[in-house]
Amino acid sequence: MNTAFRNQNFQLLSGNHAVAIGAKLANPDVSPVYPITPQTPILEKMIELQSQGELETEIITPESEHSALAASISASLTGARVFTATSSQGLLLMHELLHYAVGARSSIVMFNVNRTVASPWGFWPDQLDSLAQRDTGWIQLYSETPQESLDTVIQAFAIAESARLPVMINHDAFYVSHAVEPVEVPDQSVVDDFLSPFQPPIKLDPEIGRSFGAPIAQQTWNESRRDLAEVMSGIGELVTSTGRQWDEMTGRRNHGMLESYRLEDAEVVIATMGSMCGTVRDAVDSLRNQGVAAGLLKVRLFRPLPAAALREILAEMQCVIVLDRNYSAGTGGILHQELKGVLYGLDSTPKIHGLLAGVGGTSVSSEKIQQLVTSYKDAAFSLEPVWVE
Amino acid sequence: MMREILILGRGGQGAQTAGNLLARAFFEIGQYVQTFATYGGARRGTPVTSSIRVAADPIRVRCNIELANAMLCFDESLLDRAFLANADNKTAIVVNSSKAAEYFSGIGDYRIVPVDGRQIAQNHGMGKVINSALLGAFAATMGQPDINVLCDVIFENAPTKKQENVAACREAFALLSESARENHQ
Repeated sequence: MNTAFRNQNFQLLSGNHAVAIGAKLANPDVSPVYPITPQTPILEKMIELQSQGELETEIITPESEHSALAASISASLTGARVFTATSSQGLLLMHELLHYAVGARSSIVMFNVNRTVASPWGFWPDQLDSLAQRDTGWIQLYSETPQESLDTVIQAFAIAESARLPVMINHDAFYVSHAVEPVEVPDQSVVDDFLSPFQPPIKLDPEIGRSFGAPIAQQTWNESRRDLAEVMSGIGELVTSTGRQWDEMTGRRNHGMLESYRLEDAEVVIATMGSMCGTVRDAVDSLRNQGVAAGLLKVRLFRPLPAAALREILAEMQCVIVLDRNYSAGTGGILHQELKGVLYGLDSTPKIHGLLAGVGGTSVSSEKIQQLVTSYKDAAFSLEPVWVE
Repeated sequence: MMREILILGRGGQGAQTAGNLLARAFFEIGQYVQTFATYGGARRGTPVTSSIRVAADPIRVRCNIELANAMLCFDESLLDRAFLANADNKTAIVVNSSKAAEYFSGIGDYRIVPVDGRQIAQNHGMGKVINSALLGAFAATMGQPDINVLCDVIFENAPTKKQENVAACREAFALLSESARENHQ
């Protein structure tokens, strides 16, 4: 019956179920998770897989996200492979321990479903929840599709356990989390070959007299952050090499820090993250057919920000349009701020427009993006962020 | 050429399930599909929209459907201006209603196809579970997906009353295929 997908491991999966299956393939020892819309299908699927005997993990469902992350940190420090998932208010409730997880050098993989933060209440795609955690030291990756979410969960364990830093992967509510589409599920043997066992050099063990997180003097505390900075400086290369290895083993593509789509000879580049990248690809093709040389710069790795790679690409451009599905009150779109910072000090810099597009989950169509490019590619630079609908 | 389909129902009626089943049927015949539901905190009785895209090539866009090729409406009370803003006079709109097509002529220049899903469901002991009947009516109106593939998908995925679900789907399909032929003549 199924011609296009015959003899391949394609399944019809939602983004969230793809995440759960990715986590299952990585075989975590412990999974402390508190449910929250629109993340809940991740936990539901994990429990279903566990009840069917397909997933052997200790699922802990404590009374809050704060406790879920506390359990995740403790478990990770004992040398257990740990997966957790949350969204929006849940991520905000974890905030205190997000810092702790980094300082303690835990290797947790967390999946966050990007959702508006209250108030007012809502369930819509908006990336402010995770972007507001950008100073906590978590490695942050943004996913465009259910397939990328599944693949990135598996890669994230390799990254987290190698760097001994926690990784947060994000995908947009509904447009990815609840989008059901064909997803190619890798064989268990491929994932087993890809992931080495987690063997941290130092771990919590009652047999060993050692503690984590003890109070320390100023100079030692200062050194802990210098150590962190050193590790952070190598994350870009680690993400790149991990993605390359995964792509070689699976035949997939584009799991680097950034992805360029039709940027060759582009007179205008659209920079964004997450689900909107897909719509931008469509808009870029239409614009090229109309004679406008447009391209997409997809930011997959947001923390650490791949500043050198961004400078290299953007320095060649005349005009950059940043589409931010988030609003940092008082400044504007967060990706816009970050890219402006990256460009400082170049001999010549492109014009860079910060457009607030899709904030609160409003729909941004391919036609809308085409209109925005037409309107802004020759427009004067504006210091203020621009609301577009 | 991508086809875009909207399904509108009330929480608990099975609109999201219908969207997933329809997408699965298109997937089974080798089409790329993307379906997603949006709802504001999933309460029984509140409107739920399921969006489906079908294409021969991978689907990249991730935004709402602004102009649907076809619609499936689980409840005529939901057939309001906001929903119809996503339709034009070419959009096939299948609506669950016991009323005749003429009843809807006052709404505007739309191609509205009523089907009494409730009655068909009751004919097969399905009570208020109308989504299999509506899917059969939809397949007849659209001319796709293949009714046998659709019935296989319904049979595989129905949690209970598998035969009854398939029978309701086939009855609605036959009923609407007949009226589609008559309209054509």
